[in-house]
Amino acid sequence: MDPTLTVLLYSAVAAGAAGLGVAPLIFRERLPLAWIGWANALAAGCMLGAAYALMVAGLDRMALSGAAGAALGVGFVFFTHAAARTEDLDLNRLDEASATYGYQVLLITSLHAASEGVAIGAAMAVSRSFGIFLALAIAVHNVAEATVFSTILTSRGVRVRDAAALSVAANASQVLLAIVTFSIVSAAPSLLSWALGFAAGALIYLVMAELLPECYRQVGRRSVALVTIVAMGIVVLFSNGGT
Amino acid sequence: MSVPAVIAVFGYALLTALATGLGTLPFAFVRTVSPRVVAYANAVASGLMLGASFGLLAEGTRFGAWQTVAGAMCGVLFVLAADRLVQGHEAGFGTVRGAGARRMLMVVTVMTVHSFSEGVAVGVAFGGTAALALMITVAIAVHNIPEGLAIGAVLHPRGVPVVRCAGWSIFSSLPQPLMAVPAFLFVEQFSAALPYGLGFAAGAMVFMVLIELLPEAYEQARRAPVATLASLTLIAMMLFQRYL
Repeated sequence: MDPTLTVLLYSAVAAGAAGLGVAPLIFRERLPLAWIGWANALAAGCMLGAAYALMVAGLDRMALSGAAGAALGVGFVFFTHAAARTEDLDLNRLDEASATYGYQVLLITSLHAASEGVAIGAAMAVSRSFGIFLALAIAVHNVAEATVFSTILTSRGVRVRDAAALSVAANASQVLLAIVTFSIVSAAPSLLSWALGFAAGALIYLVMAELLPECYRQVGRRSVALVTIVAMGIVVLFSNGGT
Repeated sequence: MSVPAVIAVFGYALLTALATGLGTLPFAFVRTVSPRVVAYANAVASGLMLGASFGLLAEGTRFGAWQTVAGAMCGVLFVLAADRLVQGHEAGFGTVRGAGARRMLMVVTVMTVHSFSEGVAVGVAFGGTAALALMITVAIAVHNIPEGLAIGAVLHPRGVPVVRCAGWSIFSSLPQPLMAVPAFLFVEQFSAALPYGLGFAAGAMVFMVLIELLPEAYEQARRAPVATLASLTLIAMMLFQRYL
């Protein structure tokens, strides 16, 4: 298969997986807060594992540019949050009905997905198997994340079917950025360690600034730590074959 | 194996343990201890421990991914058990009591236990490439300094004097020389255990960060500075280890 098509296919699978996030909402109209916390912790663990694999791959290629790319990734998410005024946005204000809140949730979900797109594109440029591994890790992460996103949407009166479609749509930037990153890095291979580092830095910052602080408020720290580390361990286990 | 060689390995490893104390020096210049400073120090300690764990995982998975992850899960169980044990008792650390003391006790315990695995890694490295002994010693010694920084970042803002922080940091690294010697003598047997040990150390540290350090940091400071400090120290720590 043409490499760009592979990137398209697997990033689309990852984005499409977000549609499965509504599954718990079919059975229960309103999810307990603890479930949302577990979903967030699962998403955080997948992301930490993916960030670990990307960071090691980036540093293995060129340590200095990998680390510089990672610092850029941290800076990118930090400044987009600051510009959008979403640094302290809560994703569990289920009773908050204002339009601004809705836009902000949509905005950070898309920005979040964009960073993951860079991750998939850069990983595909390392090797096909590493790219597929990373896309699948992000796909699992997307399911958990979409559960949180859809819970907010349905509590605002959106139908479950539409929430599934919106979850996929919010992740569309992932497909786009995966292809753009893959094309750029394939054309200029010296940028690969930068791209891997950038993705790792952005993912680490997203875990620390969005996912973890959320889940500590939703469930106890012991369950957060356990779910996160088990998810991360599984991703680390499978990351080995790729790099 | 000759006796002088064993003494040399022990001596080198002891030097690396002493280097850990150097990491607490910056705290001689820190005076203000507001809750926010404690939170930022926690974020820095989290970044250092996560960066160190990522390095250990990368090292361990080169020997065996399954073994490393199995070791990591044992590390998680160890911290869970230690956490439960400490919670049952009236925790005290120096003059500090209660939740703060529990956290301090846990960090010192986890860092000390993780040194056992690092000691094995040093010993095995000596066995493999005896010619590089001095270089490896310097590398490990320098690598220990940020670990001292991590311990100082947890102890000092809660009122432990710098000298005591340095003492606890060196204490936490003492298992390194103790484990380095047998690992050096029985390289083959210890190499088999190495991925489990490295995984154990990484799992214990990551879990410690997730269950104690980060939640406390988020309670006392805003997310953006905590996340920025932790992410950037993590990256710096990984780069630092790469160049040694």
